[in-house]
Amino acid sequence: MKLSVAENWVEAPLKQFVDEARVQLAVLLNPSGQVLGQFGFASSVDVMTACALAAATTASSAELGRQVDGRPFSGLHYVGNARQIFLGQVPMGTSSLILLTVFDSESSLGLVQLFFQELCAAIAVIVPKEAPSGPALAEDFERELNRNLASMFGRS
Amino acid sequence: MAGEIGMSSPFTGLLQTLIRHRGVTGCMIVGEADGLIIDSSLQIGVNGDAFAALTASLYRKAQRAAHAAGFGETGFFELVAEGGRMCAAGRNDLVIVVVAAPRVNVGLLRVEMLQGLEAFV
Repeated sequence: MKLSVAENWVEAPLKQFVDEARVQLAVLLNPSGQVLGQFGFASSVDVMTACALAAATTASSAELGRQVDGRPFSGLHYVGNARQIFLGQVPMGTSSLILLTVFDSESSLGLVQLFFQELCAAIAVIVPKEAPSGPALAEDFERELNRNLASMFGRS
Repeated sequence: MAGEIGMSSPFTGLLQTLIRHRGVTGCMIVGEADGLIIDSSLQIGVNGDAFAALTASLYRKAQRAAHAAGFGETGFFELVAEGGRMCAAGRNDLVIVVVAAPRVNVGLLRVEMLQGLEAFV
């Protein structure tokens, strides 16, 4: 399994998370669905799909949280037959990133949550000042998405 | 969480018994599969969430090692470190985890933990 990143500063914390939490898949993205780094995905199409779904799910659950609890839900855990999904928000300055990860019985929700907190702490320390704090503009979205996928999978 | 003030769980009595042992700094009931705390009694400074997740993971691996070696179920699991001990015993997807100082009476603790497992049937 190969870890690849579009932004160099996410490589170390994402690698540590993957190594320690023993997850099968992980993708770090911004709220608009643009990928910053991934582990375990075989193709750029899979990453693109996962990012779109993760961004949409995060937006939906945040709004659901506002309706139900007056504030956005910030994490989601789903248990399947053999695999589980954890979706969490990584605070980054005034904005946040999204981590989508898939794990099986080699790991556990407790381990994933533990090392997710460490990932959040590591990113809070190393996030560069020039990192974009908001979503990409609509006219730049596809170009940025393709650039990030190309840098990770070697083609656009 | 059941460990908060004013709440009790089926494990409260067991945890109160374990935490009263000299040298014990924390005890928890942890889900073996998810590594999350179900109930706990912890002294200030013990990172319960981290302990629970890592100990449940260790316990699962110890179980697999015991099965692979043909030893059967893991009864009691103890980790001895320079600054303390960690003991675990489990049954039916629940694990009792105890964090203690090196000077703790492990024999007595072990008996209490194995007796506590009887409640997990």
